Amino acid sequence: MSAYIGEHTWAGQLGHILTSASFVAALLATAAYFLAAQRGDERWKRLGRMAFHGHTMAVLGIIVTLFVMLFNHWFEYDYVWKHSNRSMSMEFIASCFWEGQEGSFLLWTFWHVVLGQVLLWRWRGGRRAEWEAPVMTVVAVVQVFLATMILGIYFGDIRIGNSPFLLIRELEENIGLPWTTMPNYLQAIPQFADGRGLNPLLQNYWMVIHPPTLFLGFAATLIPFAYALAGLWKRDHQGWMAPALPWAFFGIMVLGTGILMGGAWAYEALSFGGFWAWDPVENASLVPWLTLVGAGHLMLVNKRKTTSLFSVYLLTLITFILVLYSTFLTRSGVLGDTSVHSFTGDGMLPGLLLFLLFFIGLSVFALLPEAGQRRFYALVSGALLLIGVALNIPVPAILLFGAVTLAHLLIAYRSAFNSSEPEESLWSREFWLFIGSLVLLLSAVQITFSTSIPVFNLLLEPLGDGLRGLSNATGIDAFAQLADARFAPPGEAIEHYNRWQLPFAFITSMLVAFTQYLRWKDSDRRKFWRDIRISLVAAAAITAACVWALGYTLAEADLVALLFATAFAFTANLGYATVVLKGRLKNAGPSVAHVGFALVLLGALISTSRTEEVSRNTKNMDLRFLNEAFNNNEDILLYRGDTVRMGEHFVRYREKERRDGNLYFAMDYYGVEPRDYRAGDTVRVGDMLFVSQNAHRAGTHFLADQPAHWRPVEEHSRRALWYAQEWSNARPGAEQFSLHPFIQINPRFGNVPEPSTRHWWNKDLYTHVRYADLEADADSTDDGWMPDRKYDKTVGDTIVTPTAIAIIDSIFIMRDSTTRSMLGDRYTVYAAQMRVRDLYRSDRWFEARPVVIYADGVAVMGRAAEIPPLRVKYGLASVDQASFVEPSAEQRGTVQFGLSVAESEFVVLQALMFPGINILWIGCVLLALGTGLAVWHRVRERPTKQV
Amino acid sequence: MKRSHIIAIVIIAVSIAALVGSLYDSSTYADLEQAFEDPGTEYHVVGVLDRSEEVIYEPSLNASLTTFTMKDLNGRSCRVHLAKAKPQDFERSERLVLIGSATENGEFHARDMLMKCPSKYNEENRIEG
Repeated sequence: MSAYIGEHTWAGQLGHILTSASFVAALLATAAYFLAAQRGDERWKRLGRMAFHGHTMAVLGIIVTLFVMLFNHWFEYDYVWKHSNRSMSMEFIASCFWEGQEGSFLLWTFWHVVLGQVLLWRWRGGRRAEWEAPVMTVVAVVQVFLATMILGIYFGDIRIGNSPFLLIRELEENIGLPWTTMPNYLQAIPQFADGRGLNPLLQNYWMVIHPPTLFLGFAATLIPFAYALAGLWKRDHQGWMAPALPWAFFGIMVLGTGILMGGAWAYEALSFGGFWAWDPVENASLVPWLTLVGAGHLMLVNKRKTTSLFSVYLLTLITFILVLYSTFLTRSGVLGDTSVHSFTGDGMLPGLLLFLLFFIGLSVFALLPEAGQRRFYALVSGALLLIGVALNIPVPAILLFGAVTLAHLLIAYRSAFNSSEPEESLWSREFWLFIGSLVLLLSAVQITFSTSIPVFNLLLEPLGDGLRGLSNATGIDAFAQLADARFAPPGEAIEHYNRWQLPFAFITSMLVAFTQYLRWKDSDRRKFWRDIRISLVAAAAITAACVWALGYTLAEADLVALLFATAFAFTANLGYATVVLKGRLKNAGPSVAHVGFALVLLGALISTSRTEEVSRNTKNMDLRFLNEAFNNNEDILLYRGDTVRMGEHFVRYREKERRDGNLYFAMDYYGVEPRDYRAGDTVRVGDMLFVSQNAHRAGTHFLADQPAHWRPVEEHSRRALWYAQEWSNARPGAEQFSLHPFIQINPRFGNVPEPSTRHWWNKDLYTHVRYADLEADADSTDDGWMPDRKYDKTVGDTIVTPTAIAIIDSIFIMRDSTTRSMLGDRYTVYAAQMRVRDLYRSDRWFEARPVVIYADGVAVMGRAAEIPPLRVKYGLASVDQASFVEPSAEQRGTVQFGLSVAESEFVVLQALMFPGINILWIGCVLLALGTGLAVWHRVRERPTKQV
Repeated sequence: MKRSHIIAIVIIAVSIAALVGSLYDSSTYADLEQAFEDPGTEYHVVGVLDRSEEVIYEPSLNASLTTFTMKDLNGRSCRVHLAKAKPQDFERSERLVLIGSATENGEFHARDMLMKCPSKYNEENRIEG
């Protein structure tokens, strides 16, 4: 084998060594901590700790190595080549790091390592150190799985994970290609000079802060999960909750922030047309948050008195499992065509599935109370998976595994947690916290179910024959239908989720409002009503004000109900913080967080239900004649230089400008002012011409104004009617602001529109370009016209364009004395005489006379004829001089000539007005701040309270 | 009856309702043949843009109407009216998912469309030696 020139193979080798080391160290830590937990042996524990430190060093080493490779542009490495290039600025190097699958797994691993080290550091003092061995066993075993995801090692023909340290020449698809044996391939092949680069869509600060936050949130769910498993393992059903609790709320804070950052990113920089689209990827991060919130609140209850122990375990365990499930959904490729996020499989499906099933199995295994049950379950589920792999029937095996697992979950519930204790009072805090957690779980189940619909097809596929047989045997059609069904996600996804989640949001908000006012165990009802009375009245007042201001109708009673619930949650928690807690900041964390939660929902409700599509398409063809389901009012067409009324503004498309690879469209917004007419002004209304009788200010409708101010003009030229302006009651006022929505021009990743938003304190105007002709942009002459369309025509022909229909009446040589004296005999001037009609008004005619000048048989110059009212121009491009007979009245059909027709340049714009969206962002901040305050308070209070 | 039983029953009822309802809301993947057997019912139809036929988008007529021809995965093609502005890079798309219904007159009316563009990587990374 020849030596390759210019390769930095040491980095890749180091990377491979470190990945293997991290895997082995995690394995060692798992084994050592497991033995330590089983035997209570300090030496095993020390070994486990050392192994985990080793694992930490290896993971940090991997990350540093990958950064060094990215930083130095070593494009012989596949990961570097795929995700970075020389021209991008270094501040986005972090984005390159986690843009790819392998990098994001590394990020996740990194946070686990950091949190693991924080745990070890907290236990160092010896407090609660008995949890170290079991908790760290779970952490380490998760790390084993994550390490395999980037291992990239072959066992026979099966590759485990994708390594980010592969050279391009080592890629499977490149092995054996001739160039891989060239020693100087890096210098000889131009592609290696620069990488593919980071998708420009991801080159913004959101991509720098969003993924780390989200992954820290995901990582934080591991700690309560590990504590819960440790509690089950050590049969200490209550002791694990106190240390796990701050972690749960830390996770709630960070994951919640991460999710909302995603929403803010989508809103500010992507063209989803909103902040939340119920996209599978968004759902996948929301669902674990919901169950984590439920788990955290149930820990609050059960820390005191174990009343709903099974639910705490269930919610805590399921949170982490849902994190794994969302990883599986978004990274294995099973969602296929259903997401705007494009994730490819890369052969990760089996590994991710195993990761998921292992921890489902482990959770149920731990929940089973008796050793015999556990052994049986482990045997059956393990055997099922083995059979599935060995006989290559994975889906039936997984279905059976699911059934067995579910059965054992029920067994675990019945035999271990079905307490016979007296029930809680309806007037106790714990009862309603319990209900709230279940509602959150149901909400999570519904979202997961709908998001997973594409997965059902995979599960049903191998059952097809069985179901069809069942249908034949029983005569029930439904089975056959199920066998043939190819489920697709709901067509109107946003409406679907909004409709189903609204009741859950309502109940949750009501519970958020009043539960804090209840005391543990039992409450004094009179005091409860006295404390909450004012909040209730205030909420009703806010609701009434909103209903009045935003015009909610009876048909929207469900929205009004949610409005009231969120307003109640807002006032009640505000009241609780001021009246009950008397404004003591120390304890106010939960209230602040709840106020934030209420505001998030309130802002989402108002801005979503009262989104105004201001770019209403009022002119032009009505789409509903094609199909009643078609929405007609989304987009507006703006010609360059035109000023169009749009909602509360006039908007004018001023110009476009290319800057830094983006194409910016300058849109000026003007105020709307009343229009004053003077005496003698003429306007057009329909096919009639009116003249103003006196100076007046236009009212709302022409018909109301007409008797007092306008007199129809009986006798008028047609031309007067064509050029008269339409009556209108408003005119553009002063320029108020400009927006610059743009399109990222990127030949490699595709052109992407990005929005531009004007923020007011109470509303946002969000605009983005839906369509612009980018070929017109490539045309170097930016003269405000679209590229010419060429036609070969002859006299008598017609040309139909979107606004106009043109008839060519004649073509002739201009030989008047002026032309002659100016040009001399060398030149021949041809002119086409055309009649042009407005496509929408049969009585509106114009004339056009484009000319072209020939010298010695070559067209040297031309002048197009523009018809500004129809935004079209006609040019005479060429005349077939050979066939030109002149002078003759009979040229019809004999003379061929070329016409070039161009329309005014335009863009298609969508503009949405989101009222009250700032309520949502304020809510986000309060939610994070309040939760953070609560976590900090809990971490601080512990030493004094519970030593 | 204990309160926990009532809660359990309510929860089971609500979850069944929510799941059945969600499934009821779900659409179905179909090919064009199935969609045309059942005009008026909404389907998800997967296919590719037929580049040999003209893509018509005339914003001055209507900014929210794009007309084109799609071939489904079985090779059957039909004319499609999409009630959206023409997406950027439409001609470069490699896969379309139409959400809409067939009509009696042999056209497909798509309310919405998902579009997958080729990930450029796969083409470009194959470096010729």
